[in-house]
Amino acid sequence: MSALLSVEGLTVDLAVPAGTLHAVRDVSFEVARGETLCVVGESGCGKSMTALALMGLLPRNARRRARRLVFDGVDLAAASPARTNALRGAKLSMIFQEPMTALNPAYTIGNQLCEVYRRHKGGSRAAARERAAFLLGKVGIAAAGERLGQYPHQLSGGLRQRVMIAMALMCGPSLIVADEPTTALDVTIQAQILKLLKDLQAEFGMALVLITHDLGVVARIADRVAVMYAGEVVERGTAAQVFAAPRHPYTAGLIDCIPVPGRTKPGERLGAIPGTVPALVGTIEGCAFRQRCAFAQPACASAPPVHADAGHEWACVRGAA
Amino acid sequence: MSALMQVEGVHRAFSVSRGLFARKRTLHAVNGIDLEIEKGEVLGIVGESGCGKSTLARILLGLIPASAGRIALSGTDLRGLDRRVLAARVQPVFQDPYGSLNPRKRIASIVALPLAVHGMGDRTEQRRRAIEMLERVGLPARLADNYPGQLSGGQRQRVAIARALVMRPEIVICDEPTSALDVSVQSQILNLLMDLRQEFGLTYVFISHNLAVVEHIATRVAVMYLGRVVELAPAAEIFARPRHPYTQALLASVLTPEPGKGLPDTHLGLAFPDPLDPPPGCGFNPRCAYARAVCRERVPAFSEDGPAKAACHAYDPTFGKEFA
Ligand SMILES: Nc1ncnc2c1ncn2[C@@H]1O[C@H](COP(=O)(O)OP(=O)(O)OP(=O)(O)O)[C@@H](O)[C@H]1O
Ligand SMILES: Nc1ncnc2c1ncn2[C@@H]1O[C@H](COP(=O)(O)OP(=O)(O)OP(=O)(O)O)[C@@H](O)[C@H]1O
Ligand code: SF4
Ligand SMILES: [Mg+2]
Ligand SMILES: [Mg+2]
Repeated sequence: MSALLSVEGLTVDLAVPAGTLHAVRDVSFEVARGETLCVVGESGCGKSMTALALMGLLPRNARRRARRLVFDGVDLAAASPARTNALRGAKLSMIFQEPMTALNPAYTIGNQLCEVYRRHKGGSRAAARERAAFLLGKVGIAAAGERLGQYPHQLSGGLRQRVMIAMALMCGPSLIVADEPTTALDVTIQAQILKLLKDLQAEFGMALVLITHDLGVVARIADRVAVMYAGEVVERGTAAQVFAAPRHPYTAGLIDCIPVPGRTKPGERLGAIPGTVPALVGTIEGCAFRQRCAFAQPACASAPPVHADAGHEWACVRGAA
Repeated sequence: MSALMQVEGVHRAFSVSRGLFARKRTLHAVNGIDLEIEKGEVLGIVGESGCGKSTLARILLGLIPASAGRIALSGTDLRGLDRRVLAARVQPVFQDPYGSLNPRKRIASIVALPLAVHGMGDRTEQRRRAIEMLERVGLPARLADNYPGQLSGGQRQRVAIARALVMRPEIVICDEPTSALDVSVQSQILNLLMDLRQEFGLTYVFISHNLAVVEHIATRVAVMYLGRVVELAPAAEIFARPRHPYTQALLASVLTPEPGKGLPDTHLGLAFPDPLDPPPGCGFNPRCAYARAVCRERVPAFSEDGPAKAACHAYDPTFGKEFA
């Protein structure tokens, strides 16, 4: 069966005063229908640029290239802006980290939800309002009819994020790209919202690309995981594979850094990754992690080979253990 | 044994208005807190965004006054203490090192500033001690003449820690010290804070929304909700046996990196707390699965239960424990 989304050799270059910043470097992954893929990595590794590249929403100083970028049979790399616009918000929708960037403060929640629907699906205002109220109920907003008349600033952060989810669902998308949808929220609300997203996903059969730097979120929600470092995917596999047997030294180091109740003992030293991420301006030769890697060897100065083991892939000179 | 710092019935209210023309209302950011901070402990403070953690931190640091109540440092009321004496003994480390470091000053002079303010030693001596402290927190001396903007986030947080420690304070109040950092940098800073505590015999108040981090570093934990402490217990106890329904929900919400466990059901209602419009009775009652009539009428007092204290009617012996 063919994938819903297929990305091969995605590259995003940004023009910056110092030269060209290689934000996304030769990234490949696939997402099947109904599946959840988590893209995880530390600040600046290119997660948001990857998401924006899929949505066709990159900043003006960015240039996107890809060997293959196909969503639901449509070649996004070759699609006209009009075609991309027609997909976006309808079959392909996005949830942003900060809902206020996506919600217009001057319009009511109801107007904004209905506008998305009528732009893509047409139909009467009443039908759109009915769908909006139905979805607000689905995302756990009580008194939905009343909320439709409110403005974004009248809602708490947790409520706004729910409205964003409802908006992403309005046209029944087959893929939602969510960029750090719960990072700004309290842990209790984060757990509630992720659960909601997962339940809605099961109910409506959507695929989900969830971008986060939180390994806890990844472990609990992902079917498959892609770990990014300095613009590249360095490891991918099922959540079970990546967490139980991380193969790339960066992934293993990251997992060791976080205190895990039960696994790490209170007060004991945590694992650490020495050094800092490399600058992304200019070309990076060989493995981008090698200056920080305990296993680095001369061969790491050239592009590392990709190893594969039962769908688990990693780019490192070290093969299977 | 008397506590290093004593907090008794501390309140802090702010006057706020909700829109351009709305009339002013009173927001009780800290609403009656009693705490004792013992020498050598790491008191973790956790709780929902807006529950008053940073306000409490700023009161402990003497940066803002309490509206009511009393705080004493080794028995002396903070109001009677000279600002500089307090600063020599209690120092902060904040979340955003960038906002708290002067961008136009070099690293060494930022760290030496407290020494200069207190007139300790001459300029050479101050610089020597600043560089010594920078090296102690893991910053090479060659960075001493850099500006904050030339450092990474983790390096800037090390500068903030060096500045906090250069006066050899007794208490360091850390307000979300690693929240703005990547996990690989967070672990370096946590390791450093744990080492320094040993070396200098420090007492920490450690505020964080990351429960796993608090479990790792704290010896005792206070859980706050809507301006009040709702549970207080030794760290091992609170994580093994949370009493208060909010603490239970908070711990259930922690997403540990264990695939296959799925997402927890927190059993929480959707009524998010609003400090401007707190519910009557227990502040948690609109979200609480155990709430009953008394919870909507009376603010629960602390009940002792083994080594823990919880402010919840379910633990009040006069109401029975049948619904806990
Ligand atoms: N508009 C822009 N112009 C130039 N460079 C940019 C721009 N936006 C992002 N970058 C750079 O591109 C790289 C990738 O950024 P991106 O936002 O994708 O990171 P991220 O993985 O989403 O990080 P975070 O976890 O902090 O959100 C970073 O080095 C960043 O500094
Ligand atoms: N100077 C101020 N004026 C008015 N209201 C304030 C002021 N400082 C804090 N508040 C309010 O007091 C309450 C407590 O704020 P505080 O910053 O102490 O919370 P917090 O627990 O530190 O939250 P967070 O986890 O988001 O940092 C909030 O509702 C906040 O909006
Ligand atoms: S006092 Fe009542 S409402 Fe508050 S936490 Fe306890 S049971 Fe719940
Ligand atoms: Mg991002
Ligand atoms: Mg705070």
